Amino acid sequence: MKPRSTRALLLGGSIAVLLAVLGAAAWLGYDGSADEADELFDARLATSARVLAVLAATQPPGDGRGPLVVSLPAPLEAAPHDEAGPLGHYYETKIAFQLIDSGGRVLMRSASAPEAAYAPLEPGFSTQRHGGRDWRVFSLRSGEHWVQAAERDDVRGELSAKLALAAVVPVIAGIPLVALLLALLLGYGLAPLAELARRIARRQPDSLAPIELARSTAEIAPVVQALNGLLARVQSAIARERRFTADAAHELRTPLAALKIHAQNAARAVSDAERRASLERMLAGLERAICLVEQMLALSRATAAAPVREPVSLREAVDDALDDALPALKERGVKLSLAADPPVGDFMVRGERDKLACLVRNLVDNAARYSPAGSSVRVELASVAGATRLAVCDEGPGIAPALRERVFESYYRIPGAPGDGSGLGLAIVREIASQHDASVAIETGDGGRGTRVNVLFRS
Amino acid sequence: MRILLVEDDELLGAGIEDALTRARYAVEWVRSGPLALAALEQGGFDALVLDLGLPGMDGLQVLRRARASGSLTPALILSARDSVAQRVAGLDAGADDYLVKPFELDELLARVRALERRLRGAARNVLEHGRLRLDPVSLRVTHDGEPVALQRREFMLLHKLLAAPGQVLTRSQLEEALYGWDGNVESNALDVHVHNLRRKLYPGVIRTVRGVGYVADPPA
Repeated sequence: MKPRSTRALLLGGSIAVLLAVLGAAAWLGYDGSADEADELFDARLATSARVLAVLAATQPPGDGRGPLVVSLPAPLEAAPHDEAGPLGHYYETKIAFQLIDSGGRVLMRSASAPEAAYAPLEPGFSTQRHGGRDWRVFSLRSGEHWVQAAERDDVRGELSAKLALAAVVPVIAGIPLVALLLALLLGYGLAPLAELARRIARRQPDSLAPIELARSTAEIAPVVQALNGLLARVQSAIARERRFTADAAHELRTPLAALKIHAQNAARAVSDAERRASLERMLAGLERAICLVEQMLALSRATAAAPVREPVSLREAVDDALDDALPALKERGVKLSLAADPPVGDFMVRGERDKLACLVRNLVDNAARYSPAGSSVRVELASVAGATRLAVCDEGPGIAPALRERVFESYYRIPGAPGDGSGLGLAIVREIASQHDASVAIETGDGGRGTRVNVLFRS
Repeated sequence: MRILLVEDDELLGAGIEDALTRARYAVEWVRSGPLALAALEQGGFDALVLDLGLPGMDGLQVLRRARASGSLTPALILSARDSVAQRVAGLDAGADDYLVKPFELDELLARVRALERRLRGAARNVLEHGRLRLDPVSLRVTHDGEPVALQRREFMLLHKLLAAPGQVLTRSQLEEALYGWDGNVESNALDVHVHNLRRKLYPGVIRTVRGVGYVADPPA
């Protein structure tokens, strides 16, 4: 379906409303002026009748031989309809009178009046049909006589219509002008919208710079603002993806180089012992590359989507994580303990169980990785002053205070750190924590040795 | 030939060490910047294979300091940093070559041989000495075109001597070239290898310089 044009809607709507208002004004004007004209004309009819009555009383006309007919000068019959001449006015043909005696005989009449009485001899105003026309008649009794003054009805209508038309015509003539002006104003007002459309259409897909319009309006500005907000978010998401890809490509180089060289060493080994040694190192390299890729994906997943915010038991998330981490702990000869305060609590927080388990697993993996054999790793859950605290403590070498912030950076490993960690564990921890409105801090471990990582979930 | 390998990644370092050792180089492997610098100051290396991201001191800094203090050891940088700017910075810091990880083993070995050629100002890998011919690519030695079967250390010793004809090499230089720092060297092991080489080739190929060491005199 073709979308409706706002411009046509506004233009059409405005003109329709204008026409309706004009129509109402014309009708009201016509109606009002018709009423006023009626009153005036009626009064004049009555006055004319009264003057005739007085004249008839003082000088009774006629000689009994027939009615006296007051005729109009002949040229007046052919005079222009709307011009007063030296002899009178054409409209006199539309005005009539009769003088009638008590017996109903017409004593005197104007030429335009009929020979018989206009109306029954009853005092007052009435409307009569005569000669195919409506006449307004005023009957007045004066002694022996009746006077009937009459006027064609259409004279009055003509006056009212002309008055109303005179008020409406100039406005109607102005409508095209108003329409043109409206169209121009609308065009001017909507121009920023057209410019916005052009700018978006001309965009290259890789151009995510904010859109700036030469001229804006209160209606367009929020659209541009919202669009620029979206562009900024898309840009930062793309930048994050690019950084992830670039980082991944860089960080995979050394593990892949190691894999390759051991594979090549195995291929050109001159003895079984040499070949076996190279293959074993290759397997270790594969193991490491797999761990690295898994951590990269974990970080990518943690970064990509906001967690579901539903009530979840931190204790259950810890249980999930420890199930996964236990074999590695056992292999390293590291003991694990879990302490909860209060001992039977669910430690409810809002978030996503899988992500929280991933956070705990990374903390425990890290603790185990740097723990000497025979030492222990302790996981604590505690309710403290309106918050829930998760802590993972180890008895390893600890982290120097100067490095306690840097270790959260992606791929950062403390120089000379043993083992082949990915440098992503704590970055994953921080990402998941911040998504759950939790803070992460590294402290010196209990008793002044090792590391203690506190994760504080505000309720 | 003796190579200093500086690489903090255990697995990759082990792989390179294996590969270089099998190509009959004596390899000294250190895992941090300061240790690399100390080894370079001590000297005695024919080539340096250097990683850049190192604990303690960045590889570029190691190289700049070594060059500032007069080290001439040809250096090959081995790094994951692959941008043009990074490669330029590496070469300008004093490296002779730059290889981006991951790399082909053959290419690494070829580039190490190029460093050796640079060290002795030669255009060819093959070392010729009178009727002797030593090929460091195929690891073969011929005498008048006839192949001579040499033990690993005998090959390394001959390679070291032929690479610097006419130059007297001290016993400790030669022992380091054969065993590195941590080899258990019997006091007369070097003499045994020299004896075997003379027996397998011809007696005059290596001349003893009393109280100093040995020299392969340029053929007349």
